Amino acid sequence: MDLHNPPPDLYGRPRADAFMRRLTAFGDRYSPALGGPLLRRNPRRPYSRPTPQLQLVVTARSELATDVVELLLADPSGGPLPSWQPGAHLRLALSSGRERHYSLSGDPADRTAYRIAVRRLPEGGGGSVEIHDTLHPGARLTARRPRNGFAFCAEPAVLLLAGGIGITPLLPMAREAQRHGLDWRLVHVGRSADTLPYTDELRALDPHRVVLRADDEHGVPTGAELLAHAPRGAAVYCCGPAPMLTAVQRALDGSPAGALHFERFGAAPVTDGEPFAVRLGVDGPTLEVPADRSALDVLREARPDLPYSCHQGFCGTCEVRLLAGAPDHRDRRLTPEQRAGGALLPCVSRAAEGETLVLDL
Amino acid sequence: MPRSTPVPALAAPAARVHESLVLEPRDVRFDWAELPLHWIPDEPMATHVINVLHLLLPEGERWFVKVFKEALPLIRDEQLREEVLGFIGQEAIHAEAHQEVLDHLLAQGLDPRPYVRQIAWLFQRVLGDKPGLTPARRRENIIERVAFIAAIEHFTAFLGNWALNSPGLDRAKADPTMLDLLRWHGAEEVEHRSVAYDLMVHLDPGYLRRVRGMAVSGPLLVHLWVRGARFLLAADPTLDGRLKPTWREAGRIARRGLLPGPVRSIRSGLRYLRPGYHPTQEGSSSQALGYLATSPAARAAAAANR
Repeated sequence: MDLHNPPPDLYGRPRADAFMRRLTAFGDRYSPALGGPLLRRNPRRPYSRPTPQLQLVVTARSELATDVVELLLADPSGGPLPSWQPGAHLRLALSSGRERHYSLSGDPADRTAYRIAVRRLPEGGGGSVEIHDTLHPGARLTARRPRNGFAFCAEPAVLLLAGGIGITPLLPMAREAQRHGLDWRLVHVGRSADTLPYTDELRALDPHRVVLRADDEHGVPTGAELLAHAPRGAAVYCCGPAPMLTAVQRALDGSPAGALHFERFGAAPVTDGEPFAVRLGVDGPTLEVPADRSALDVLREARPDLPYSCHQGFCGTCEVRLLAGAPDHRDRRLTPEQRAGGALLPCVSRAAEGETLVLDL
Repeated sequence: MPRSTPVPALAAPAARVHESLVLEPRDVRFDWAELPLHWIPDEPMATHVINVLHLLLPEGERWFVKVFKEALPLIRDEQLREEVLGFIGQEAIHAEAHQEVLDHLLAQGLDPRPYVRQIAWLFQRVLGDKPGLTPARRRENIIERVAFIAAIEHFTAFLGNWALNSPGLDRAKADPTMLDLLRWHGAEEVEHRSVAYDLMVHLDPGYLRRVRGMAVSGPLLVHLWVRGARFLLAADPTLDGRLKPTWREAGRIARRGLLPGPVRSIRSGLRYLRPGYHPTQEGSSSQALGYLATSPAARAAAAANR
């Protein structure tokens, strides 16, 4: 866009637009004036410090169900922990360097300990196995303060749908629903009855509102079967394996339910990826991108201030300029013209094996 | 056609839900092919007053994104940084969604380009980077722009909260897709209403900065809105310039629930200056998230992303 000639009059009259002229003059004086007395940050005021990470200690550990352990995590000095609300999760930093999110399954009113439940996944990324093998009472670890990506809105009628270990965020919601006298139902499904954690605790809330269903007895339920438990117009909160959520989403329109909440986990795992390399500038360092990681992930290690947002190739925040190399564009945002002009979204886009993408960074 | 979605009723623990929300953009799509020029039937003035949003937001929200990207290296708190990144993604999607409406207006014979050209000048030239500033002054400029955005976000949250609680638009049989756009956008504005303010306070907790942000942005926003409404009514090919906007008429339309009341809007702007102000005092995250769980566009986006 032309940033030298002020825009013409709104109604096509042959004269400069007075309002635009005054605004431009204002801006041209305002910007350089900032930094003078009263027009700057008070230099005597200290800078705000980053919120420190939580230091936690494992105070109890128990087997909840087959392959599921429950941990209680408390402040080492016994002080109260930061508050949280149903649906919140804790990000644990494990001693191997892995970071893992776990939903809080306890009672928000209890500020003395956070409670999480972890299923052992031998085929997973190793985080759950590490927790099962190394976190015993007395073990220390650091965590970020609880964040909530699955907030409970306490609609008058709710249906909570849990698949296996997905019960963890829904249990505090059920407790809150019971406390507020909402019309709630909870359906908990899993492979077999012995793999379902928190059965007794759920039944103790209100046995008539809780349905437990094991696949080995009743088969895998369809989305419509799950949603048939919804009171009319209910808001559904679903947490479980991806096929379960997909089934519920597909069946929602024909069901009595009116709304669907679920936790969104930004980055999807990389599929059909090959290892390639990115170079930061023509003469810059070259970084290897493994087949199972995104270029953005790798770039952020070298450039922590690189902006990004959706991790899925639709928002365009992480756009970088490509100087050389043949990219495999996998985003849903850029137009063919933008791509031809060198735009690239490293959160999803990749390159063929052995290729090096030279980026303007 | 998407279903018209009733906004969920507020429930008891609403105000508390806001704490530490994870913000993420939603990849929504809207189909404007069927949108009538006067999407509130027989209400050209109310339609165009709201349409000013589509004139201001694409350029404005792209500028928000640019300023917030420049502010990233100044942030010293990991959680705030994550919230700012979520905010950036949401604003980027908002800008594109409104851009599509703008393109549709042009296709219907209403040429918005003269006004949009001025808005682009405002955000890219008047409020854009000034060459030759020292690093310290450049930093002050970034913080000042964050303060402008924090003040504007107070209004977007106010408008978002209004959109979520505007049965008048349903009664007037406003186009359901446009209502979903307004309420989806409004809900995300309510959802992320604290981010710009928290960022401003993080970078400069001074009261003077906050007041300046509102003193510049508030009157400018009101003036741009009036100018935009006048422009759209004049440019509407079906009206031949017969309809002139007046405050009296705006008040009448507001009383029927088709626009936020002028007095309420100004009072809201003044609340921003209260010493104990925080954006969480306005609007309800529960209601916003409740709407996003029913919004046809947000739901379709969620299903497509699985």
